Amino acid sequence: MRRFITNPMINKELRQRLRERRAWLLPTLYLLILSGTVSFAYYLTTEAEMRSQREVQGADIGLAIFFTVVFTQIIALLLMAPVFSAGSITIEKEQRTLTGLLTSLLSVTQIWWGKFVTALLYLLLLLLSALPMLALSFAFGGVEPLQLIRATGSTVLVLAAICCVGLWCSATFRRSIHSTAACYGIVLVLSVVTAVVFGILVSHWSSNHLLLRSEGPPAYVQAPMFLNPLYPLLSMVDDAEFGQFVYPTSSWMLFTAMGCLAAAFAMRRLKRGGDQL
Amino acid sequence: MIEVEELHKTYRGGRGLRGFSFLLESNELVGLVGPNGAGKTTLIKILATLIPATSGKARVGGHDVAADPRSVRAVVGYLPDIAGIYQDLRVREFLEFFADAFRLKEPKRSAAIQRALELSGLQDRTDEYVENLSLGWKQRLLLAKTLLHEPKVLLLDEPATGLDPLARISLREQLKRLHSDGVAILISSHILTDLEDMCTRILFIADGKNVSEPSAQALPAGTTEARIHCEIGFQGSPELADQAVGNIPGARVLERKDGFLLVEIPGGAAEASALLRAIVNSGMVVEHFDARGPGLEERYRRAFGERLS
Repeated sequence: MRRFITNPMINKELRQRLRERRAWLLPTLYLLILSGTVSFAYYLTTEAEMRSQREVQGADIGLAIFFTVVFTQIIALLLMAPVFSAGSITIEKEQRTLTGLLTSLLSVTQIWWGKFVTALLYLLLLLLSALPMLALSFAFGGVEPLQLIRATGSTVLVLAAICCVGLWCSATFRRSIHSTAACYGIVLVLSVVTAVVFGILVSHWSSNHLLLRSEGPPAYVQAPMFLNPLYPLLSMVDDAEFGQFVYPTSSWMLFTAMGCLAAAFAMRRLKRGGDQL
Repeated sequence: MIEVEELHKTYRGGRGLRGFSFLLESNELVGLVGPNGAGKTTLIKILATLIPATSGKARVGGHDVAADPRSVRAVVGYLPDIAGIYQDLRVREFLEFFADAFRLKEPKRSAAIQRALELSGLQDRTDEYVENLSLGWKQRLLLAKTLLHEPKVLLLDEPATGLDPLARISLREQLKRLHSDGVAILISSHILTDLEDMCTRILFIADGKNVSEPSAQALPAGTTEARIHCEIGFQGSPELADQAVGNIPGARVLERKDGFLLVEIPGGAAEASALLRAIVNSGMVVEHFDARGPGLEERYRRAFGERLS
């Protein structure tokens, strides 16, 4: 266990990553995007409530800020995860440094773990940097700490799974451009194709079950959405439209399984990495 | 130190190894020579545990490369033809990373890094980024990194690629020093003069198989006859020396100075011995006698001449 914590790969990777220009550029950009969307959400909520001549409720603003930040950050981080993970092994192949790693006493698991931790740590850093913005929602009220924990936990789990998929692409392909494209393809399938399939299934189901519509579609209709990175967060929204998503555990389990499988395949591919050198 | 028996490696393209065998003792510095695509890199990669062999046996330092790759890595230092280097690390950081990767613990770790810095001559540039080093310095750093864990066997695949003459000379000297320190070395190179200068033995490989060197007596028709050059330092009359050389059929004097002769004779060691005997019998005092066989280029031509034509 100690070997994984004091893994020299982690030191090296972090050192290299933090020396890149994007190390400070990306968090800046990320926080700017988040600030923009939060301001916009605040404006929209207050504007809508004032237009309907209702008294502006702090809890409504709090909830709006919370869900805006949570969804914006998972979408932004989903776009960034392939960049950090899918290129991390291919770059070793492109720069011909993988040979040095594979002929050292580092195990394939240690190499993979070093790459995984570094990719995930950077995303966690971005996630952490957005915490003050999430804290804003507590100032307005309407959000419980448990919701924050659940949203953060779900986001971390989904990102970890995507990082595993990215590393698998990176171990499989020779070029960063190919592995990054493949990883984005997978993210696209998980985010968009699952939603489209769910849309088709749900319309088919509702036309056949008019009376059951209010109860929401059953698990087998929702199944494609379990693989959607947004599903665990959607299941938190207490809304007529999204209230039907009530199986977050299935989604968590699927993402965990996906991550474990991708990790196993990536390590298996790395073991045969010499063929690609 | 290295035992290879009937090693086969099949690729989809067809090239690889087709039953290559050899033995390398602990006190040897062996050159691996052959045309492009002969299987040199494949052989070295198998020995470095990077790729598996299709069949056959390979043992390094007593460990089977297929069954116990970890133990093999602990005793092997491998330097590939185009070795990658982390450009965005500092020299010391680069060495520290590999010291950790080879599980060196303090105080051995610090000593190994210090030794590597001294070996590479980079003691004064430890804080410099690797990308600012010239190719020659990078190659020295890579060799120093390869030696961090004090390997018993060095596998070098075209280590002099892209190096300028001075860096090549320095590399050669380093390898000679390592060999004299007891490190067994297998080096693949196309620079025959370098190999000739430092290797204790040359292995020829083509089409993934061992190629035996044709003997001087069995040269193919049209091939230049094998000749040997003898340097003779002597005391006595030059006329006597000339007379002695004249007794050897086919011998000719290439250079004549005061107390020194450079003679070319046909044949091999037996003919060189006959020349020495003739000179001694003529009553001269021999101060120095150095007979050199056919150069590596000549041997290479003999081994691969037909393939080249």
